[in-house]
Amino acid sequence: MKLELVKGSRSRVLAALLFAIMVIFAGRLFYLQVIQYGYYAGLAKGEQQKRLSLPAKRGEIFALEHGTPVELVMNETVYTVFADPQIIKNDEKVIVAVQEIAGGNAVDDMKARLANKESRYQILATKLSRVQAKKLKEKDLSGVGFQEVSQRVYPEGGLAAQTLGFVNTDGTGTYGVESALNDRLKGEDGLLVAVTDISDVPLTIGNSNINIPAKDGDDIVLSIDRNVQAKAEQALADGLKRTGATNGSAIVIDPQTGHVMAMATLPSYKPGEYYNVPDAAAFNNVPTSSPYEPGSVIKTFTMATGIDKGVVSPDSTYVNTDYIKIEDRVVSNAEKGHTGTITLQSAMNWSLNTGFVTVAQRLGNGTEINQQARDTMYDYFHNRFHMGEETGIEVAGEQAGEIVPARSSEGNAVRYSNMAFGQGMNVTMVQTAAAFSALVNGGKYYQPTVIAGVIKDGQLIPQDIKAPAQIIKSTTSDQLRIMTRTARATLLNNGDKPGYTIGGKTGTAETIVNGAYTDKQTVGSYLGFGGDETARYVIMVQVSGKNLPMQGARHAMPIFTDISNWMLDYLKVQPKE
Amino acid sequence: MSYQRTTTYYAARRTQNWSRNQNTTRYVSAVKLGPVAHTVLIALMITVLGLIYLTQATRATSYDYEAQRIDNQIAELSDQKQDLEVENARLTALETTKNSSVAREMTTPASSEYVTE
Repeated sequence: MKLELVKGSRSRVLAALLFAIMVIFAGRLFYLQVIQYGYYAGLAKGEQQKRLSLPAKRGEIFALEHGTPVELVMNETVYTVFADPQIIKNDEKVIVAVQEIAGGNAVDDMKARLANKESRYQILATKLSRVQAKKLKEKDLSGVGFQEVSQRVYPEGGLAAQTLGFVNTDGTGTYGVESALNDRLKGEDGLLVAVTDISDVPLTIGNSNINIPAKDGDDIVLSIDRNVQAKAEQALADGLKRTGATNGSAIVIDPQTGHVMAMATLPSYKPGEYYNVPDAAAFNNVPTSSPYEPGSVIKTFTMATGIDKGVVSPDSTYVNTDYIKIEDRVVSNAEKGHTGTITLQSAMNWSLNTGFVTVAQRLGNGTEINQQARDTMYDYFHNRFHMGEETGIEVAGEQAGEIVPARSSEGNAVRYSNMAFGQGMNVTMVQTAAAFSALVNGGKYYQPTVIAGVIKDGQLIPQDIKAPAQIIKSTTSDQLRIMTRTARATLLNNGDKPGYTIGGKTGTAETIVNGAYTDKQTVGSYLGFGGDETARYVIMVQVSGKNLPMQGARHAMPIFTDISNWMLDYLKVQPKE
Repeated sequence: MSYQRTTTYYAARRTQNWSRNQNTTRYVSAVKLGPVAHTVLIALMITVLGLIYLTQATRATSYDYEAQRIDNQIAELSDQKQDLEVENARLTALETTKNSSVAREMTTPASSEYVTE
């Protein structure tokens, strides 16, 4: 039997109607699936696909201990406990559980926070350890959640605080190495774009998944030696207590590499509690970021310039009258009485300003600090000793200081006569100590650095040391070692361990108060070296305080001696017979 | 004319196996399928293929959960390792060592000297 729709019959009308509906459906589907494909595919992707950031682990920071890396800054995962008061029915149960497990990490006003039923988010405890968080999770408290937070942890407490800096709440390194090397330490976050289930578990379905793994930050090893740093901080603290000074800094450098072994500044702080520091000045790393007029320690550089240019030697003589006239100004000695014809070695021993103004004069025509003398001094101080410019040390906030150019209007004879004994110029301790290293190591200038290398696969990969520049003759360096040794011996009897070569120079610099130099508030400095035939360390110490007349010999030198004697044992330097 | 089948001949034919000029026979089924049956069969095939796809996709997804479980385990162990490293660093910190009972028992030597070999 053949079925046939009769024209005009109801069946035929129904068929036509169904066909029309099918056409509409097909048209609508074509519109949705073909024409609007991109739009709806995007909507679907937005619903199903999640874009997850894979956080990079911030690199850790190590110090050294006799060449072996030890942790200074690490990462720790801690947990913040929060609650939704609207969900919690039994406040007391939650309070008891949190207080029992979190202890001192629980907030004080938990009861009031949970009573605020209009709020959906209240923090109940912070900085819980993984074990504490696990115990609390096991209580299965409804309405209580946990948030993972990675934080920096400092096993050595406040050791090398200003050198390290800290990481702020945004995860950005602030001050110190944390800031200077932030890009290397922070690494690069990875990216995961994937279809996920309701619990955000990434699934391998879909053809547009992206997985870029996170690149963790570098684990950086500082040249700071943990024990030297601790000794420098202790010696400085003892020195401040002894002298009554309120501020002090010390830096210890290896003169054969430019590696900074310690940088200490007091008052200090604990980087793990940086938010409790009342005065942000405590964050400054004084040896790199606070230029000052160092005073007589600079006489070693003036002498080095004179010897290197061949115009003077330690045995050169001059007539000391305790005063010397430069244009319309008179420069006088702080230590008076060593008058008559004396050697420049004597001038060094007694730190006589007139002797070094004389050296500056002899760099010119012998009687005045003329343009030639000033040009020579500027060439040595600025271009060779790298004073008045940033050293490039990897600590944030380094300041350049200033050496006034010899050709500028302020670079006159009076200024340069003052510079000959360390006034009228601004330099940082790291500049001075790095330049002094060249004076005692044979004349080679090493750029100072706090980086010893990086840890890769558990091994220390040392950072290459930049090739040094020969800035003065090695014979000049030899003479400077003897001169500073003699100068130190003149002031200090039986303070040093016998059998070693220890040399140094004091500095007492007036400061400007209310626009004028005053000797009522001075900065005491000491700059020296120690070792055997080879200089093994250079130490610079500075002490100061408001309205305190700090002196190099009396207040800074004992701190140097304390560190120096300890260094000889620590470095196992053998005394000469 | 008569033919006699020999075993030799049979064996030879069997061993020829699609030899040259061999006749082949194509059998045509007597069952005829209409358009509806075809449609149903195609639909069934699509359904089966779909089910196979779903089975495979589900199996791949089950691997995702396994991978996630292992990832979580690795993260957990990594956290534990990190905690132990931090604890180790704290226990070997200078301040801890200095305040240890062993350190407190130590005395300063009265004198020391270097010995040359």
